Amino acid sequence: MIPNVAVLQIESPHCHMPTLWLPLFLLWIPLILLSPLILFVILAACIAGRVSFWKAIATFLGILCALRGLNVRVTTYDSKVLVRIL
Amino acid sequence: MNENRRQILEMLAAGKITADEAERLIAALESEPAATAGVFTGNIAGSNGRNDATVKTHAKYLRVLVESTEKDGPTTVNVRVPMQLLRAGVRLASLIPAQAQDQLDAKLSKHGIPLTVSQIKPENLEELIDHLEDLTVDVDAKEEKAKVRVFCE
Repeated sequence: MIPNVAVLQIESPHCHMPTLWLPLFLLWIPLILLSPLILFVILAACIAGRVSFWKAIATFLGILCALRGLNVRVTTYDSKVLVRIL
Repeated sequence: MNENRRQILEMLAAGKITADEAERLIAALESEPAATAGVFTGNIAGSNGRNDATVKTHAKYLRVLVESTEKDGPTTVNVRVPMQLLRAGVRLASLIPAQAQDQLDAKLSKHGIPLTVSQIKPENLEELIDHLEDLTVDVDAKEEKAKVRVFCE
């Protein structure tokens, strides 16, 4: 399933921002609008690289769907970065 | 008899896997803790080169923990990567054009990494995961100490 929300938190001495909940599902709107152009670019890249178009689409969709559950947390003595994909 | 063990023995009887592979699978089953024991996913190449045996693993995430002690204070890195993402990443390697793969292999071997990108396949990843139960690497430098722990969960 394609991830819907990303959580971003950055804390450092120079920058302190509240936890951001990014609604990734809203990206579907520009993505659908630009889909003909995006598909054309992918098709051109596949032809240039002699790669199967459907295999490329399946792989990219696979990566997109597998992003769910990714969690990166880095903490140092004065800063903290958290990225979660839900 | 355990269902997984029976499945492995049936695959051995059907000639889908060799005795060595069966032994390895049974050993992996026995060493699996209760939380991860059960059905496996992924493929293991049979002796005849075909991907006959389907093996499933319950590990859903690869966890990388790095704890380092620096001058200013401790630093920790905690990364949880879904196994599906690793598998998808390996499939991505198959999309790299052959010419680029050759260049990549040449660059890697130039830097002392004898790795052939075209030979990285999802079944290799499964094998790696099977053996990667709990790996801990201690890194000692002059002024810093770090502990890297990689495990599946």
